[in-house]
Amino acid sequence: MMSASVARRTFATPVLLGLLLIAFALVAVAVGSKPFNQTIIDIFLKVIFVVGLWVFVGNSGVISFGHIAFACLGGYVAAWTTIKPMMKGMSMPGLPDWLMQTEIPYWGSAIVAAGWAALWALIFGSVLMRLSGIAASIATFAMLAMVNSIYSNWESVTAATSSVVGIPIIRSIWPYLVAALISVFAAWAYGISRHGLALRAARDEPTAAAACGINIPRARLIAFVISGAIMGMGGALYSHSIGIVTPDTYYLGLTFITLSMLVVGGMGSLSGAVLGVLILSTLIQTLRWLEAGVQVGETTIALPGGVQEIALGVVMILILMFRPAGIMGNKDLSLPKRAALETKGPKSPRT
Amino acid sequence: MKRLMTALAATTCLTAPALADDDKIIVGFATAETGFMQAYDKPAQDAAMIRIAEINASGGLLGKQIEVVNADTKTDRAEGAKAGLTVIDAGADMVVVSCDYDFGSPAALAAESAGLPSFFLCAESIKAGIQGVGPNSFSASVLAAVQGATMAEWSYTKKEARTFYRLLDTWTEYNKGICDGFDYMLPKLADATLVGEDTFLNEDASIAAQITRIKALPEEPDAIMLCTMMPGAVSAIKQIRAAGINSMILNGSGVDGSYWLSAVPDLSNFFVPVQGSIYGDDPNPDVTAFNAKYKEVTGGDPSTQYVYPGYVMIDVWAKAVERAGTTETTAVVAELEKMNAEPTLFGPRTFTSELHHQNQARYLIVETNAGKPGVVDEWTISEPIPVADLMK
Repeated sequence: MMSASVARRTFATPVLLGLLLIAFALVAVAVGSKPFNQTIIDIFLKVIFVVGLWVFVGNSGVISFGHIAFACLGGYVAAWTTIKPMMKGMSMPGLPDWLMQTEIPYWGSAIVAAGWAALWALIFGSVLMRLSGIAASIATFAMLAMVNSIYSNWESVTAATSSVVGIPIIRSIWPYLVAALISVFAAWAYGISRHGLALRAARDEPTAAAACGINIPRARLIAFVISGAIMGMGGALYSHSIGIVTPDTYYLGLTFITLSMLVVGGMGSLSGAVLGVLILSTLIQTLRWLEAGVQVGETTIALPGGVQEIALGVVMILILMFRPAGIMGNKDLSLPKRAALETKGPKSPRT
Repeated sequence: MKRLMTALAATTCLTAPALADDDKIIVGFATAETGFMQAYDKPAQDAAMIRIAEINASGGLLGKQIEVVNADTKTDRAEGAKAGLTVIDAGADMVVVSCDYDFGSPAALAAESAGLPSFFLCAESIKAGIQGVGPNSFSASVLAAVQGATMAEWSYTKKEARTFYRLLDTWTEYNKGICDGFDYMLPKLADATLVGEDTFLNEDASIAAQITRIKALPEEPDAIMLCTMMPGAVSAIKQIRAAGINSMILNGSGVDGSYWLSAVPDLSNFFVPVQGSIYGDDPNPDVTAFNAKYKEVTGGDPSTQYVYPGYVMIDVWAKAVERAGTTETTAVVAELEKMNAEPTLFGPRTFTSELHHQNQARYLIVETNAGKPGVVDEWTISEPIPVADLMK
């Protein structure tokens, strides 16, 4: 019964975050410009990635540098399952026959990708989750490097470093919105489940949690598999958003941008993960527009190229200076009255 | 949150799409203005702008002025897709995309799904066109395979090379393409033999093992086909020469330019195929005139031959638009596909409904002798490389 009351108490969080995402989608529809639409799609994909990352990092407290590897696994599932068989034969001749003949819709590929990534998360996780602290972080990074090397060199199955083309491009915003909503609700549901609560207990007090009978590696493994699945789904959709897939898309660049969004937003809460993406993406986009030039009356004001990257760094430093636990800290978005109750409640440990 | 939304709403006003205008023709450049691809895109784009300025000065295209819209891909694939959509929204009649297939294809795919023609600035993979994007996509350059085939046939015929060694840097598709063309041509040359082959990686600091194997041959090969590109090419060439191997070195166009020659002093017996000469000795005086104009506009000489495809691109596209009497995609693509050995400043160009790329082209042969590069010959491979061989 405990779980039900927690659910009631925290249900406002995913709903508010969901409404926020829907608002972004509606803005895109209202603006009606193709590049803006694509920008919002990109933001939703980042939401999926960062929420996926949060499920593990936020709840376990172990920073993972390797989650983008699951996005890579997912991205290639989209290539394997949705490209027309004839084109697949040309770029990836080494695929098994049954896979070569498979052609499923994009949502099917997203589901399969989630399953495939979850499977590998289970395999990797059963070993990695026994480690903790910095050792675990570096081990996840090793996993990323490994997946990247395999996908960059297995010519007949992944076309190595060449771009794989022919993935159907989905330019409609709704599938991405739905996927982002699914990830937010899944992350919330996991967070309040007994496994999620156990893992958070293990994060804050490992010794006490173990003494209470929590099997820490197992609790971490569950989070790792769920977050792997979310990343896999995101990876597949990422492929569908631009129509090509290459291994270096899913490597250090994406790893660091998603991690910084999570840290700036606040690792301690789901709202931090989502808001980190929304705020940083909005900032990046605004700076890009300024770089491209803004018409003010007769003159065009434009920032010099490259300012966006610098300004983003400065803003992130400032945010972390004043809010070391991220914008949201450990708090979640909730309705005002609930929030008041929450602060009086016993649990608000700062990490 | 409210502040966030107002910020968003405010920024969106800036992107209000320009409506397609009937009294002008718009060329959209979805190319890299920042990031490492900028070094490849900018020179070719400058050359394209020169051709556009020429057309506008002589009364425009179909009596309309050509206007240009730009969007930065930031050398990023996801941004590339957005850049493509941005120029399409701005009313582009033709979309120019980044030089490299990997970085240009997201924007080209966006153009393709919007039913617009697209041109890769200088991609040399067969995928940059029908095979990797769709029926309205073209590349302004020449296939890498033609470069390898040209060097093989030319050195066989003009330099009597009979024994070849093939050294491939497996880093990029471009490198593999050069060697594929070489592999296609070699069996067609009577009594030419491949005495050995090896691979290395662009980032390898030392290719000592590969060099030892060349040195172990009973006789030094007549020619080494070196399929590589910058930046690794310089170190490979330096090591080959330092080991005392004096065979001819045959290359793709990727090593054109004199900017790196000081790293290998007194380099000789070194051959590069180019579409036009940046050294001021092109057999066509118009190319030298173009080089002067390029210097006037950009303040510097062309640094490599990869400037030229940008000019060719606007040239052939504008001709097709002129002949079709419209910028409408099917008509323009049909006119482009009718081009058979269409003369351009940098050699004839052919497009067919099967291939939107050059599988045969006239190349100038640049020889570097005692550290001085200069045009010594020109060569067109005896027959086009069949598409089936290119797809391997």
